[in-house]
Amino acid sequence: MAVVELEHVGKRSATGTPIIADVSLTLEAGAFYFLTGASGAGKTTLLQLITLVERPSGGRLRLLGADTATLDRDARAALRRRIGIVFQDAWLLDELSAADNVALPLRIAGAPEHEIGDNVAELLAWVGLAGRENARAGTLSGGERQRVAIARAVVGRPELLIADEPSGKGGEEIALLLVRLFERINRLGTTVLIATDDIGFARQFEHRRFHLNEGRLLDASAASAQ
Amino acid sequence: MTGYRLAFARRALPLGPDQSARVLPWVLALLVYVAGLGGIGLIVFGDSLRAAEDALVTTLTLQVPAEASTARLETVLALLRQTHGIVSVHLLEPAQTARLLEPWLGRSVSLDDLPVPRLIDLRIDPKGDTDIAALRRQLASVVPEARLDDHRGWPQGAHAAARRIRGILAAGITIALLLVALSAVFSVRAALMVQRPAVELLHVLGAADTDVAREFAIRSLRLGLLGGVIGAAAVLFTILALSGAGSIVQLPAQSGNSGAAAGGITDWRVWGALGGVASAAGLIAMASAWAAVKRRLASMP
Repeated sequence: MAVVELEHVGKRSATGTPIIADVSLTLEAGAFYFLTGASGAGKTTLLQLITLVERPSGGRLRLLGADTATLDRDARAALRRRIGIVFQDAWLLDELSAADNVALPLRIAGAPEHEIGDNVAELLAWVGLAGRENARAGTLSGGERQRVAIARAVVGRPELLIADEPSGKGGEEIALLLVRLFERINRLGTTVLIATDDIGFARQFEHRRFHLNEGRLLDASAASAQ
Repeated sequence: MTGYRLAFARRALPLGPDQSARVLPWVLALLVYVAGLGGIGLIVFGDSLRAAEDALVTTLTLQVPAEASTARLETVLALLRQTHGIVSVHLLEPAQTARLLEPWLGRSVSLDDLPVPRLIDLRIDPKGDTDIAALRRQLASVVPEARLDDHRGWPQGAHAAARRIRGILAAGITIALLLVALSAVFSVRAALMVQRPAVELLHVLGAADTDVAREFAIRSLRLGLLGGVIGAAAVLFTILALSGAGSIVQLPAQSGNSGAAAGGITDWRVWGALGGVASAAGLIAMASAWAAVKRRLASMP
């Protein structure tokens, strides 16, 4: 079953310049993918389309079985709650504690507080931040922030996990650690898509790769990556 | 996850501290103060007008010339007592008339030497549908020079003036409440700018527009009610101060209560007006914030 289906999807900037063009892509449930491409190739834009942060200028996008063009705002929000996202810069709320940042998706979903507490503590321990629950996000190191972001992305048990350059500037060691974390999540049935501009790094893994070049998803690259 | 949304134990979505929380209640308090004084003004003015109208509309004065005979005077009195709608007829004694004229004539003047008409004080039922024109004709047939003073003519003009004054007070209240809405909108816009990263993150993580708008709306409701309570309290203090300073403000409940300040503020309408204005400030601030946030969120995909 396809979790994400893009058919000839394009996205133009406000000035009309194409950012990505004619992208067709299918992500199957439970699979693990890399999206590679140089900086400015359109990876972030493609991820923003898949996570419903942006709307496509053309083409058709089906997400988790729903045609996104026909969804109202509440339905789009409900769909977003089924996706976990790890942003390039972690995007934490600095004035909140690590635990409260992780708890955000559950609070948005209206989960009862006792369930939130249990899940959050367990996940922070899982990403190696046991005992740091009450530390303010603004005081965490880059690596810790990224791990909080991962915990936040998976706390709601998403069906699709999207990560945009999740290692940030943390280097290959951190990147490797994060991929291992994502693989453990993937083994639980979550579809994972990781965007990175480090093609060599992505090639270390056995996972399928898509490659974006100047806004176009190259079929040859995708095929050769299989 | 769907089950989570049905859970009742919810905590507010985390929005950062709101700097507008310092200023907004005081701005709203000032506006509620203006609106509250306007509301009290409407009550006081309405009561005063009603009391004046009651006195004027139900009272007629008949002047019977001094040269009219006692028999004619008796006939007039009998005619008045039989007239439909007249509930009381009181012939003023010469001594009473003299007292009424004292301010103009002084005590030294003897009324016996003057052709002072006999005055008859009439009370009519305001709903009695008394035919004044027919009464005039009948009186003229008995005493042609008799003069019936009907005070009901000028309250019509007073009504127009009263409507204008009421309109001005109501416009003042409306403008103050509109400014409450504007203040809330500007405040929530400023808060949205400050909270933009948090709001965008909540949006991206799947918060529904109504959930985010609710957070801002509840915050604005609290600030609005706080401002409303401060403004209403200031109005009460003003009333007490003015009442204590020589009954400048004659509140409705004070009539017949020798001007005690507490009489005014125990009038339920005063509390109703102040409570209404304070509540309106909270509700208007909440609704304005809700609309402003929803509009802002609508610009996000």
